[in-house]
Amino acid sequence: MAIPTMRRQLSATLLMLCTLLFQPVQAAGSSQLLQALPERPTAGDFHLTDLDGTEHRLSSYRGRVVIVNFWATWCPPCREEMPSMQRAWELLEPEGIIMLAINIGEDEDTIFQFTANFPVEFPLLLDQDSATIQSWPVRGLPTTYVVDPQGRLVYRAIGGRAWDDPALLDRVRALK
Amino acid sequence: MHAITLLFSSLFIPTASAAGSATTGSDPETGLAFWRYEAEGILFELNQRLPDQTRAFFQARGFDTDAANQFATSCVFQSRLVNMAVAGGASLHFNLNEWKIISGNKSFLMATTDDWMPRWKKQSIGQAARIAFKWSLLPTEQTYAPGDYNWGMTSYDQPPGTRFNLTLIWHREGRRESATIRNIECPADSPQETP
Repeated sequence: MAIPTMRRQLSATLLMLCTLLFQPVQAAGSSQLLQALPERPTAGDFHLTDLDGTEHRLSSYRGRVVIVNFWATWCPPCREEMPSMQRAWELLEPEGIIMLAINIGEDEDTIFQFTANFPVEFPLLLDQDSATIQSWPVRGLPTTYVVDPQGRLVYRAIGGRAWDDPALLDRVRALK
Repeated sequence: MHAITLLFSSLFIPTASAAGSATTGSDPETGLAFWRYEAEGILFELNQRLPDQTRAFFQARGFDTDAANQFATSCVFQSRLVNMAVAGGASLHFNLNEWKIISGNKSFLMATTDDWMPRWKKQSIGQAARIAFKWSLLPTEQTYAPGDYNWGMTSYDQPPGTRFNLTLIWHREGRRESATIRNIECPADSPQETP
């Protein structure tokens, strides 16, 4: 009887040690950080069409918080963060927060095929000539900005994030 | 011109060698080699890309055979650069034009997006293909806040199979830091079918 008890205690201790050892690595490697932009520059307006043919003008969302994500289907971290963006959208849409994912340089068929494996309900916009991304301060994919109700860039994330992380969502919600 | 730039940057800009570690190995599934440098707050990783993979990627996005081959055989790696600092940590700035390649006692600079894009325009590569190219490479210059990172291809403009040392340079809190990854091997090319 004593041996199983010792094994359980040993397992629990090992689990605790592993948790302690790996926690800092996870915090650094899969960070949910959003970089605050103290200058809060005005977001460049754009007028793009989504996969359904609906037109979206950023300035028409003035008064609401908007998450603007730049991505491409061939970009591994873009694909990786898509499911978490969908989960975040399910939480944020009822609260009036907008999410727009701007695809760079690809056609409708390519993106449509992509959505078979990565089904999302938020608008996927087409920036086929890359004019919009070039007018924004973006240098690599994915890059995501959070735009406040006054139309200013408030947060930036370069690289993928787990967008359904509660702490991250709270920072977005606080802009309302 | 590039050699002069290298000479001056080596002589006059103080650089602190970071205390990190470089490791190498191979992917158990593909057998392709990787090199990884990790120090406090930074991770840089290079994964070999076979020229066939790179040719296929760009031909699928509108490159003609010749242009896809030029890039695919220029020693291309899939790369990842991460600011590993935790919240409140320092930002990390890099410019690939500062990085140095040493091969056969000669110094070279990396071939960045800015070097390749004029070639594609001159070779009449279509706009969609050029857009895909631009965004699939690691950005030439970038500032990462803690938690930020990019994936992207990097090109070292060396023939397949070449071995080289790569000196990475980055800037953090006003300091210029560097590290060298040694004996990196450009992916070998497979014989091409003759038409």
